Amino acid sequence: MPSKMKTCEDYRTALTNATAAAAEPSLELRSHLDACASCRAAFTEELQLFAAIDTGVRSAANAEVPASLLPRVRVQLNERPVLRHSWVLAGAAMAAAVALVAVIVFVRGFGGDTIPTNPQVISAARNVPPTRIQPAPPAVAPYETAGLARKHRQIRAAKTAPIVAAAVAEVAVLVPAGQKQAMDALLAGVRQGQVRADVLLAENSEKTLEDLQVSPLDVSPIEMKPLEDVGAKSPASQNEKARR
Amino acid sequence: MQELVLIQPGRAAEKEFAQEAAQAALRREFEERLAECGPLAYRVARGVLHNSADAEDVAQEALLRAYRRFERLRDRARFRGWLVRITFRLAIDRVRSSKRREVRETLWSQSAPGPSTEDLAATSEFQAHLDRAMEKLPEKHRLVLLLAAMQGHSLEEVAEMLGLPVGTVKSRLFFARKQLAEKLRCHRK
Repeated sequence: MPSKMKTCEDYRTALTNATAAAAEPSLELRSHLDACASCRAAFTEELQLFAAIDTGVRSAANAEVPASLLPRVRVQLNERPVLRHSWVLAGAAMAAAVALVAVIVFVRGFGGDTIPTNPQVISAARNVPPTRIQPAPPAVAPYETAGLARKHRQIRAAKTAPIVAAAVAEVAVLVPAGQKQAMDALLAGVRQGQVRADVLLAENSEKTLEDLQVSPLDVSPIEMKPLEDVGAKSPASQNEKARR
Repeated sequence: MQELVLIQPGRAAEKEFAQEAAQAALRREFEERLAECGPLAYRVARGVLHNSADAEDVAQEALLRAYRRFERLRDRARFRGWLVRITFRLAIDRVRSSKRREVRETLWSQSAPGPSTEDLAATSEFQAHLDRAMEKLPEKHRLVLLLAAMQGHSLEEVAEMLGLPVGTVKSRLFFARKQLAEKLRCHRK
C-alpha cells in the first residue's frame, strides 16, 4: 500500500510540534522547508511566536524580587511563633479536660467522706465480735479509713498512707450530735487496734446491715380546704377588704 | 485525702530549655532556606498573579506557612518543591478569590478601578494576552512552564523539585507551549 503524500498542512503541524518541543526539525521536514517557501515563512513565524512566548514567560517567571520580602517575612516569623502540631494542641486540651473531670470527681467524692455519719457503719462496728478483731495494719490511718466507704478508696489510702497519716492529726470531723458517742467509741477502738478498719468496710458486713430496722413512715392525713377559705384568711385579701 | 504530686522544677526547666533549643535550631535551619527559596516563592507567585504586590503577599504567606509546618517536613531536601507547591496553591486561590471579588464588585459598582499605571507600563499588549493565555493553562502545565522558565532551572531540576520523571516534565512543557502558541497566534503581529 503506497504511503499517503504529505501536504504542507501536515508539515506545518510537524513544524509546530518541533518548535513547541524546542527540537530540531527532522531531515524530512528540513528538506520540505528547503523546497517550500510558504512553509519556510510559516516556520519563521512559528519560531518568532515561540521566542515571544518564551520571552514573556521568562519575564513573568524571573521578576525582580522586592527587597522588602525577606525582612517582612522575618518580622512575621518573630511575631508568630511556630504552632505545635494540631494533635498536640488537641492532646493538651484533652488532658486539661481530664484534669478538670478528675478535680470534680475528687472534690465530690471526698467532700462527703469527711463526715462519717452513716449509722449503718457504726452499727456494723458495734456488732463485730471481738474475737474477729485484729490489730489494724499500720499503713492505714484511722480517721481516713473510718470515712472511706468504697473498696478502691482503701487501696488508694494504702498507697498514700504516709501522707495521710501525717495530715490526719489536724483533721476535724463533724458528727451529728446523737452519733458522737458511737463515733468516739469506734475511733477509740480503731486507735487501740481493737477494730480493724478494713473489716468495718468489708463487703460481708452486708449481713449485719440486715439487722438495721427502719420504722415505717407515718403520714398524717391531709386536711383539704376549699381555696376560698384559704384566700379569705390570707393577708392580701384582708388588705383588700380594708381598702373597700 | 489529697494525692500530692512532687514537682521537680529542674526537670521542667530542662524540658523547656530543650524545646527552646529545638525551636532555635529549627529557626536557623529555616532561615538558611529562606534566603535561598524566598525569591523562588515570590517568582512562582508573580508568575501566577502577574502583580507584584499580590505576589509579595502570597510569597510571604507561603513562607510563613512553610515555617509553621517545617517541623513536619521529614525530607528537608524536598523543601524547594514543597514551598513551590504551597506558593502555587496559594497564588491560584488568590486568583480565584480575586475573580470572585471582581464579579461582586462589578455587580455592585460599575466603576471598578482599572489596572495601575505601573501595571500598564510593565505589561505590553502581547504580555497581557500571554498572561491571560497562561491563566487558562491547566495548573500542572502552568507550574512546569514557570519553573522551567526561571533562571538556573534545568528540566532535571524541575523534575526533581516536583517529584516527577523528566519525561513528564518535558511532556507538560511541550503541551503548555503548544497551547500558548495556539491561543496567541492570532495576536502575533
